[in-house]
Amino acid sequence: MLDLGALSVDIQNSHILRGVTLKVGQGELVCLIGRNGAGKTTTLRSIMGYRRPNAGTIAFLGRSLTDLPTHAIVRLGIGYAPEESEVYGDLTVAENIELPTWTCPEGRPAAERIALAYQIFPKLRQYMKRGGTQLSGGERKMVSIARALALDPKLLLLDEPFEGLSPAIIPTISDGIASIRKLGQSVLMAESNVHHIPDDADRLYVMERGEIIFAGTPGEAKRDPAVMRVISGAA
Amino acid sequence: MAAFINILLGGVFHAAVLFLVAAGLQIVFGVQKIVNLACGSFYALGAYFGVTTVTWALKAGLPPFLFLPVLIASGVVLAVIGPVIERLLRTVYDRDESFQLLLTFALVLMFQDIMRYFWGANPQQLGNLVMVYGKVGAGGVDLPVYNVLVIAGSIAIALILGGFLQRTRYGRILRATAENRAMTEALGVDVRRINVVVFTLGTVLGTVGGAFVVPTSAASLDMAVELVVEAFAVVVIGGLGSMRGALAGALVVGLMRAAAIALYAELELLSIYLVVILVLILRPSGLFGKPAE
Ligand SMILES: Nc1ncnc2c1ncn2[C@@H]1O[C@H](COP(=O)(O)OP(=O)(O)O)[C@@H](O)[C@H]1O
Ligand SMILES: [Mg+2]
Repeated sequence: MLDLGALSVDIQNSHILRGVTLKVGQGELVCLIGRNGAGKTTTLRSIMGYRRPNAGTIAFLGRSLTDLPTHAIVRLGIGYAPEESEVYGDLTVAENIELPTWTCPEGRPAAERIALAYQIFPKLRQYMKRGGTQLSGGERKMVSIARALALDPKLLLLDEPFEGLSPAIIPTISDGIASIRKLGQSVLMAESNVHHIPDDADRLYVMERGEIIFAGTPGEAKRDPAVMRVISGAA
Repeated sequence: MAAFINILLGGVFHAAVLFLVAAGLQIVFGVQKIVNLACGSFYALGAYFGVTTVTWALKAGLPPFLFLPVLIASGVVLAVIGPVIERLLRTVYDRDESFQLLLTFALVLMFQDIMRYFWGANPQQLGNLVMVYGKVGAGGVDLPVYNVLVIAGSIAIALILGGFLQRTRYGRILRATAENRAMTEALGVDVRRINVVVFTLGTVLGTVGGAFVVPTSAASLDMAVELVVEAFAVVVIGGLGSMRGALAGALVVGLMRAAAIALYAELELLSIYLVVILVLILRPSGLFGKPAE
């Protein structure tokens, strides 16, 4: 459903992405893995329309995204949980999660979408009334992912959902991602730590210095010593 | 005692009007991150246009006691200039603050010429309409009922605005946009449209403020800059971007101004800006502003 073809992106005259090609199919969980600074966030931000490519193509459900504004890309069915969570501090948790049903009221009924978001992270029900500033890093991640899911997207982009979290909260997030997957939701996830890659990922792309240096299944990646050297030491 | 009550009532009246314009400045800054000096021009334009509309309506046979609704309507009609000016500002959203200030200051100068062109250099007055609603006595002081209506009107607008921002869906979307534009786009919001709506709202707050004040004084070319100077004090005292700050700041500045005018008229701006400097030293982010991170 998502196709990047030889995508190149420059930031301030340096080539950050150099010919990135990747694919996410219907219902697939695809991981983009690479060290800090490899270009994962830039890839996701380019899909979202925050950055414009110098060359290459981005297509979603057969439509080019490269000249659509961000809000229009979202309306085609892409939900985004950014690296820094970006939970609104001025709104409560409940408002953060309801917001997408107000901004994009089309599609499934709001109540259903909100219920689904809480079903993925049941813990969030306890925090509903809390302000977005009174949350831990892990709680913010949960709100951010639940909020993207409440958009009822066809494709979910997760940028480092485990980054900077305490070990205690990591199982909650990985359980959440597993339940998202059970819904048949297509997911593209950026990750810098190979240990966080779900075992049932359909495909793995390894990125280094803005280039895809490997594409294959997690099993194939683990048998490739060059790939393991890049991703296992990655912090 | 009477003198004190006079200052109090005069100060609250001025604060009511100042609040409207400052609220416009705050909401535009909050969402669009632009300090719009032209809010003072909207205020002046509201005053001039109010004089013209009400004078015309009275000539056409409007009973004088209906002048207030017509005056408010004339302020609201000026909403049409909001989207036009916002279109101009789009050229500087992504540029340095200095460009934004330059452009909005250029707007102040352009509006000044436009107003001079249409209304001439002499102040425009509305005669003695302010007395058509009679007077009320308060603590030995006579106050035009008109002033009471304006104060009540501003309080009503403040409450409606607060309720809108805090309790409605659209208000929450506006607050979300003010906090994090990029994320709000990623939730499917066309922030360009939000900009138009917010700027128009800010414009109307200014023009209605100007319309409210004109029966008690006059429309003049200086009032734009005079008001910007005071609105700046309001915003620094209250805290940039905060609605409650606009309210508190407007009260402080309104009362200071009334006291200064009654006691030492020459020191009006000096005393207001002394408070501004005091706030900058003791509480740099203002009474209700968020401390810079
Ligand atoms: N706004 C920016 N300005 C300048 N350089 C940037 C910017 N964003 C990213 N980069 C550079 O692009 C490269 C890739 O960054 P990023 O996509 O964030 O990597 P990752 O998400 O894989 O850690 C890094 O070298 C980073 O320094
Ligand atoms: Mg990143």
